Amino acid sequence: MASISIRNLVKRYGNFTVIRDLNLEIADHEFVVFVGPSGCGKSTLLRIIAGLEPITSGELYIGDDRVNGVPAARRDIAMVFQDYALYPHMRVYDNMSFALELRGVPKAEIDARVKRAAALLHIEPYLDRKPKELSGGQRQRVAMGRAIVRNPKAFLFDEPLSNLDAKLRGQVRAEIKALSQQLKTTMVFVTHDQVEAMTMADRIVVLQSGNVQQYDTPEAVYERPSNQFVAGFIGSPTMNFFPVELRGEGVALSHDGTAVALNGESKARLKNAGGKGVLGIRPEHFAIAPDAAEGMPVAIKLVEPLGSDTLIHFDLAGSTAIARVDPALRPRVGDRLALRPQPGKTHLFDADNGQVLS
Amino acid sequence: MTENPISDGLLRRLNTLQLVLAGIIIMAPMAWMVLSSLKPSFEVTAYPPTLVFSPTAENYSQLIKTTPFFSYAVNSLIVTIGSAGLGLLFGIPAAFAVSWTRISWPAILTLAARMAPGTLFLLPWYVMFRQVGLIGSYTALILSHAVITLPIVIWVLLPSFDNIPRSVFEAAQVDGCSITRILWRIALPLVGSGVAVAAILAFVFSWNYFLFALVLSNGDTKTLIAAAFNFVGEGSTNWGVLMAAATLIALPPLVLATLVQRWLVAGLTLGAVKG
Repeated sequence: MASISIRNLVKRYGNFTVIRDLNLEIADHEFVVFVGPSGCGKSTLLRIIAGLEPITSGELYIGDDRVNGVPAARRDIAMVFQDYALYPHMRVYDNMSFALELRGVPKAEIDARVKRAAALLHIEPYLDRKPKELSGGQRQRVAMGRAIVRNPKAFLFDEPLSNLDAKLRGQVRAEIKALSQQLKTTMVFVTHDQVEAMTMADRIVVLQSGNVQQYDTPEAVYERPSNQFVAGFIGSPTMNFFPVELRGEGVALSHDGTAVALNGESKARLKNAGGKGVLGIRPEHFAIAPDAAEGMPVAIKLVEPLGSDTLIHFDLAGSTAIARVDPALRPRVGDRLALRPQPGKTHLFDADNGQVLS
Repeated sequence: MTENPISDGLLRRLNTLQLVLAGIIIMAPMAWMVLSSLKPSFEVTAYPPTLVFSPTAENYSQLIKTTPFFSYAVNSLIVTIGSAGLGLLFGIPAAFAVSWTRISWPAILTLAARMAPGTLFLLPWYVMFRQVGLIGSYTALILSHAVITLPIVIWVLLPSFDNIPRSVFEAAQVDGCSITRILWRIALPLVGSGVAVAAILAFVFSWNYFLFALVLSNGDTKTLIAAAFNFVGEGSTNWGVLMAAATLIALPPLVLATLVQRWLVAGLTLGAVKG
């Protein structure tokens, strides 16, 4: 078990820079999720930690050891791959025992560790099977078992749930989280799915174009996104954005001048930014205005009932926005509503650089 | 959609006809060779050829009595097994290295060497082997035949190695394997059928290769195929004995290919379609 420290890391392929001057401290026992869109460098970063990609410049520490240039085989890291990467010619037992055998662990201990991991993951009945005789979920467990038996310094997961169907994905997600609490080992998990990031992580690293956009707890990333990219990436459906400006004593949507009810603190932040900015409102942070005059008038153009709540789509300030409402409202296409943001639940970003306005 | 103007039935019949014609073209000379080897010597060159005759083993017994056929066969086996083994010994790591590094020029170089006419190698080799006193030795024959077997092994195994997901190798790296160990413990067991196909093809091509043995061997190390050439006399060639020799020479590759034909097809098409 160990901390992971990344200092001024740069990764280039030829002239193409994938990761630029990245700094990150992952504490011992911490479950950190790298999340970001395709091509943001999250898998590259994970592979660098694993030792599967060389570093262009910067430093990488696992525990107290500087591991730049140390081959993957000597980093004492376990990794679960997106396609599981089980050895097709070996039985499940051999897949799990292989790394221990390479390290010269005595046979009796190998047997005990494999059986303990198999019991933990409920794969004991499959120990004599070959990977091709297993379902996707079972293979996933074997891949995790292969990592667990080694008792490594850290576990790395490279989008391990993306090949599973939705139901299984939810189940395995919960299992990995339970496992992390049980094993108390440093875990780094890569995903493009923000739900996975939110539900599993102690801390989330939001990446874009090889840069860390925010590194914080799931709650903080959701509630206090550091910029418009993070705000838009975390949360489903995505946050609604509207250009706004100060008009007299109030705030109005820049597009059509519709008044928005914002508190004094928000107005002050907007004023500091020159009177213009981008307002972010999550779909779940719209409220129905009790008085139509206080809200922004909208006409529903699409209704998505989800059971627990209902999503309504409408046009506002020249773009389509989404609000999450109580299904008891029974909204229908064509209905007219007056919406306002819930007090204290709005976000303001700089119109030029997207950074949160403070 | 327009209807196919050729019905499925007609298409099947045309396909069968095509296969039968191809079969006749390929098999006719072989059938001729086998039948001729079983004919009495005076009937072998008879015109018009006799199709009905009393089969005889006379040509075979004469071949064995008048030539050191079995010695040549042993020579062929030594050279073929030696060069196929050498091809596998160097070809397996070479194919793996090319697949691993994705640097393909060494493989292309071996292919170019294979495609170059044998005479290109023969003259320098002859001089080199003579200088080190290896002319007529098994070593010279095995080394020269490795030029035939090495590219075969590399090019048969390359798609097999390429077909293994990269992540499997990476998992082995993370598990603690060195590159060498990845080859022997992970990659090689996964390309077993490819290795078998490569070995068989290397054996067959080396067995059938004529030119190097003709020049680099001597009376004691002559391979079957080179020795058979000597059966063609300047004045009177005993065609019956020659056909018997040709039949026996063709037997091992044919038997091998027949025994492992399913494997052979699977191995050769490996990598063509992802499983």
